[in-house]
Amino acid sequence: MRPLSPSVRLGILALTCIVIVLIALITSGANPAQVLTTLLTDSFRSPTAFADTLKRFCPYMILGVAVFWALRAGLFNIGVEGQFLMGGMTGTVVALQVGGIGGVLLGAVAGMVVGAAWALPAAWIRAYRGGHEVISTIMLNMIAFQLSNHLVAGPIMDPDAGFPTTRTLGPQDMLGGVPVGPITVNWALILAFGFVVAFGWWLRKTVAGYELSVVGANPTAGSFAGIDVKRTTFAALLASGAIAGFGGGLQAVAFEGRFYMGFSTGYGFDALGVAILAGGNPIGIIPSAFAYSLLQQGSLAVQTLHVPPGIATLILSLLVVLFSAIRYGKVGHANG
Amino acid sequence: MSIVALEGIAQRCGDFVALDNVSLHVRKGDLHAVVGENGAGKTTLMRILYGALSPSEGRVIVHGQERHYRSSREAIADRIGMVSQHYAIIPELTCLQNLMLGAEPGAVMNLRQCEDRANELAEQMGFTFDWHSRAESLGPAGAQKLEILKLLWRNAEIMILDEPTAMLSPRDADALFVSLRKLASQGATVILVTHRLPEVTEYCQRVTVLRGGKLIDAKEVRDVTRAQLAELIVGHALTAFEARELPQGETALNVQNLVVRGDRGNDAVKSATFQVRKGELVGLAGVDGNGQKELFHALMGTRGFTGLANLNGEDLSGQTTRERLAAGVRIIAEDRLAEALVEDWSLADNAVLGFQRLPSFRVGVGINEATKADRAQQFIAKFNTKCTSTDQAIGSLSGGNQQRFIAARALGENPSLVLAFQPARGLDIDATRAVYQGLRDACSQGAGALIVSFDLDELLEFCDRILVINGGVVSAPHQKERAEIGQLMVGAI
Repeated sequence: MRPLSPSVRLGILALTCIVIVLIALITSGANPAQVLTTLLTDSFRSPTAFADTLKRFCPYMILGVAVFWALRAGLFNIGVEGQFLMGGMTGTVVALQVGGIGGVLLGAVAGMVVGAAWALPAAWIRAYRGGHEVISTIMLNMIAFQLSNHLVAGPIMDPDAGFPTTRTLGPQDMLGGVPVGPITVNWALILAFGFVVAFGWWLRKTVAGYELSVVGANPTAGSFAGIDVKRTTFAALLASGAIAGFGGGLQAVAFEGRFYMGFSTGYGFDALGVAILAGGNPIGIIPSAFAYSLLQQGSLAVQTLHVPPGIATLILSLLVVLFSAIRYGKVGHANG
Repeated sequence: MSIVALEGIAQRCGDFVALDNVSLHVRKGDLHAVVGENGAGKTTLMRILYGALSPSEGRVIVHGQERHYRSSREAIADRIGMVSQHYAIIPELTCLQNLMLGAEPGAVMNLRQCEDRANELAEQMGFTFDWHSRAESLGPAGAQKLEILKLLWRNAEIMILDEPTAMLSPRDADALFVSLRKLASQGATVILVTHRLPEVTEYCQRVTVLRGGKLIDAKEVRDVTRAQLAELIVGHALTAFEARELPQGETALNVQNLVVRGDRGNDAVKSATFQVRKGELVGLAGVDGNGQKELFHALMGTRGFTGLANLNGEDLSGQTTRERLAAGVRIIAEDRLAEALVEDWSLADNAVLGFQRLPSFRVGVGINEATKADRAQQFIAKFNTKCTSTDQAIGSLSGGNQQRFIAARALGENPSLVLAFQPARGLDIDATRAVYQGLRDACSQGAGALIVSFDLDELLEFCDRILVINGGVVSAPHQKERAEIGQLMVGAI
């Protein structure tokens, strides 16, 4: 039998994905059209819903950059979730202590420092001892979960609260925004946009970005081209952690105003998908992050239709599979 | 009377014509050479005779009868055997197991009888084998011998050998031809695919020349000179690459007592001492795996060393690869895809590789896009890399074209020392000359070049001076002379 052409194979894959989603919806007993409409449009139902979507959009972009950065160096930073949590917790505590705009700034910076520190063991082990970053970052995630849960239920818990949370920052101690119609666009979101664009420029146009990409694509060729592969690897994971921690700090001072058990709804794990869905282009992080925030927001609403929220995860996962297939297909084509 | 006659063979794959109306007539008992450049269709023609390909047109006549082989199995049953360029030896199996693999005498084997027959065949050829040792202990020469015995084990009378000497030292190559002649005198017929013309003129009786998938000529070897053969192969007159007076520039590279640790913890380079002058092309002759790679990596800075290595008076030991690149050290790496290129990237992006920190390639923290585009064009033009644009992925080019690009890149941006590992790998005769001329030009601007090749004739033709590396020991022959160098290469002196 002749092998099928790449476009036919992609078509079959896309069709399979759609069928899987339909089967999942039908077995859940819901009306597929209604569920899909709700998933996609819930964010635009009310200003509050849209504001909630933006609250997700911001960390998805920043964490998407964190994952993308490491990915470009050939590293899979699963530890973004833990770095985000540690950054968010530290950022909250610092902002609570300092207060005002200084607290906002210091909180975000403290988040960045702690995020980098959380990635440091994994970066060092990977670069200089050859231990795989996936294993070490998963273990660091576990430590971050347990440590943050312990601290927020103990030393840094608001004694007046009935559940594990810190005190809440006042509005004057948080980052504001620009009102656009009925909603307020937080400065953090604007910062995140700028950050993605700046990252795209850095990666594609600078010598450092070029060297990072060489290390990810062919480290041996990199060493012959005068690149210190170990140092670049080390720096890339550290930077990825710093960005993730910054994202956590920013989330605390811009949107949440406090740190609590459940501060992250799995942003760090979703960010892995955001970065892969973005494709080869860093700017792709923006639409990809938006798709994630849209569907995750919608997944809350579909629960009212008695459909498990996992449906959004299912759709996103299949999208990631589909996009990976498109990218992989292109690479295979160039070689064939 | 021909034992093998291929008549009017054509082989097409879509629009691509690999062979066009090619005929080959081989007499019984001859060593028959098939020569031509890469892509001339030599291997394709042999695969047709061996039953691995069926021709689009034409007749295959073996032992006087027309054959339509549907697989190599049928060709083997017809007593045809083929040793391809890459040995089909499984290192984990013993020599005896390799010998019998796929041609075992039966489901139940009397191993003693098998070993007896193996010894008989080896003795007939003048080889000795420890049949129970694992094949990984064989060097390239031993592996080649085992491949030939595999043909005899299968009772082959027509033997096709594809570039059999590519990995052998001159001495082992000479020994191989002695065995082949012996086989021919006992009635076997040998078809030899090669690009080494001295082998043709010294050992073969007839020669068939292919170019671009067409038959150019078939001659008695005694009626043709080596130079005439070279012209038939490339299709135009070749002027000899002139030997010249030994350049007497000042010392560029000075190496004293250099020791380089190998991957297995042994000393891959043992106390090497030599110099490369400015202007000089120094060939480093040797069989693959004798420390060439480790020496190059040490000089490039991707592997540590002890001892002294100075480039234009500057100590290399304290310098990183980046600093050496800035000082003009360039490498044409051994393994194109693993060490020299990012396959999926464009020619333009690959043009920057290694130069990304040079001032001419930078604007502030960014890459100078104008320089990048300019150099990519320059590197493509230098040795005629065939591509559609500078945006084409370099992995989609043929190996030869990748090599042209890499060689041009290594000669760019004022080199002071060029470390060339098989710079002509996969190149045709014209491109090989162009690359060596490029090396000469770069050297006349003040660089020195150290060149590794496994083809001694190539080094003898193009280099000013030759050093030999054997078992990590670098030695200098008294003269640039084939016999002495050949002996040094196997440690016979």
